[in-house]
Amino acid sequence: MFADQDLVALLLTLKLALVTTLILLLLGTPLAWWLANTKRRVKLLIEPVVALPLILPPTVMGFYLLIAFAPDSLVGGLWLQLTGTPLAFTFSALVIGSVIYSLPFFTQPLQIAFENLGAGVLEAAATMGARPLDRFFSVAVPLCRRGFITAASLSFAHTVGEFGIVLMIGGNIPGETRVLSIALYDHVESLQYSEAHWLAGGLLLFSFLMLLMVYGANRRFQMRYSF
Amino acid sequence: MNLNARIQLTRPASFRLNVDVEIPGKGITALYGHSGSGKTTILRCLAGLERGAKGDSIVIQFGDTIWQDAAHFIPPHKRHIGFVFQDAQLLPHLSVGGNLDYAITRRQTDSGPSLNQVVEWLELGKLMHQPVTQLSGGEIQRTAIARALVSGVNLILMDEPLGAIDQEAKGRILPYLDNLHRELAIPIVYVSHLLEEITHLADRLIILERGEVIASGTVIELSSQLNLAIAHDEAAASILECTLGGHDEEYGLSKLLFDGGELIVTRLNQPAGSKARVRIPARDVSLALDPPGKTSILNIIEARIESIEAARQARLLVRLAAGSQFLLARVTRKSIEQLGLQVGQTVYAQIKSVALLTEYHHD
Repeated sequence: MFADQDLVALLLTLKLALVTTLILLLLGTPLAWWLANTKRRVKLLIEPVVALPLILPPTVMGFYLLIAFAPDSLVGGLWLQLTGTPLAFTFSALVIGSVIYSLPFFTQPLQIAFENLGAGVLEAAATMGARPLDRFFSVAVPLCRRGFITAASLSFAHTVGEFGIVLMIGGNIPGETRVLSIALYDHVESLQYSEAHWLAGGLLLFSFLMLLMVYGANRRFQMRYSF
Repeated sequence: MNLNARIQLTRPASFRLNVDVEIPGKGITALYGHSGSGKTTILRCLAGLERGAKGDSIVIQFGDTIWQDAAHFIPPHKRHIGFVFQDAQLLPHLSVGGNLDYAITRRQTDSGPSLNQVVEWLELGKLMHQPVTQLSGGEIQRTAIARALVSGVNLILMDEPLGAIDQEAKGRILPYLDNLHRELAIPIVYVSHLLEEITHLADRLIILERGEVIASGTVIELSSQLNLAIAHDEAAASILECTLGGHDEEYGLSKLLFDGGELIVTRLNQPAGSKARVRIPARDVSLALDPPGKTSILNIIEARIESIEAARQARLLVRLAAGSQFLLARVTRKSIEQLGLQVGQTVYAQIKSVALLTEYHHD
């Protein structure tokens, strides 16, 4: 069965994934909207920057983040001044790292959904008197529901499965930065295969259920609106 | 309120638009032209969906309000307009009722017809709970028109609202549009490339060619002018404005009067004295030099030849004046030469068919 410390790791992982996904909903959504609609050239630069985590080894990203989070660096120093605590090896550092690392998993499906939405329905809503923000919430959000579900679940699941970046910027502090994948690594390192099996099997099952839910939700939505 | 628009814009693929149009405050004004003539672009400019790029100049004024010029831009959601798109653009996640509700909750002015009235006019009552993804082409367009009407708007813009639907559905929707004509006291701008629709519905016509206005005026004035392309369409026809003189109950006929004569048509369902607009296809009019004797054709109008199309093709258009109105006849060049038809001559136009266009009452 799960050891107490593994349950702590599980809760911490879920908390990290949830906070990351919520932040991505707030920050990633406007970014995806902008990428889908802008005609400005700078998009050509922003798109690959957002996509970098897709191909960069997590340890590379983690390394640069670790340096950025150090108290004598710009970001880390600012954080220290504002909060009075160092940033590296904290839960907050994990959240920032996860948001950056999962950003493309959130923005790409959503950007595609926004692009497929087309200008027509939004123009129709405008002629009926809907203001821009109103159009976004009353037309774009319901019509891009699949995109939101995919984006949110992919970034949630991706955050749960994070390892390399967490190791670099979070370390292994129980209740603060010791997430499931790290706990699993520890168990294997110390040859605790039974505990490792529980964790690995649990993660496997979780990921499968998550994807099942995503595909199921998309299918239901698809049938209802026959897109 | 009158709508004035001066639009000069250039788009890639060497499309240029340079027009100055005035749309009266009431009735249907049609923008007519082939694809690429710029009619949809004008409509989108009027709606505020097209913002000028560098070097373009768009000046739009509705009544006393400037909607757009170099310094101002009122966005579409503040223009109080209803737009019927060619492809309807219903909100696919909502039902028919949901789409109408969407417009009503954002209703822009208090004027205009109520939901119940519009649902009744367009016979949408039974469809209200249907998802819009399950509607037929005709139902989609009726919903789109209804949605524009319930917005409580000051101006309705229609972009080929009957373009995407089949002939049968079109025949069923045209009367609804005709109705609006009578019920609404706001201007409607109607874009179409089909003469048939325009002569049926429109009061005024603006003809566009390659981004420029080549003629504008009432449909009756323009439809019989030989120098305009619309008279040369296979569907070329003259339009007459008549008064209903009376009914012949025995034979089931009605008599229509105009200052150039009278027409006998199948009995109309409206009182004597009401106005009726009829359409006479040019190919259904033949000419005779003497009053025809025994013939089954009831409608024979004495008219004077105004002009004869100068061309080398087999069939030519002849424009005839009957009173203050005009008739078009499509006659072979051979007949014209054999009869020695000349401008100024008096002839007898035998009319084989008369189609009733609108049955509206003027106040």
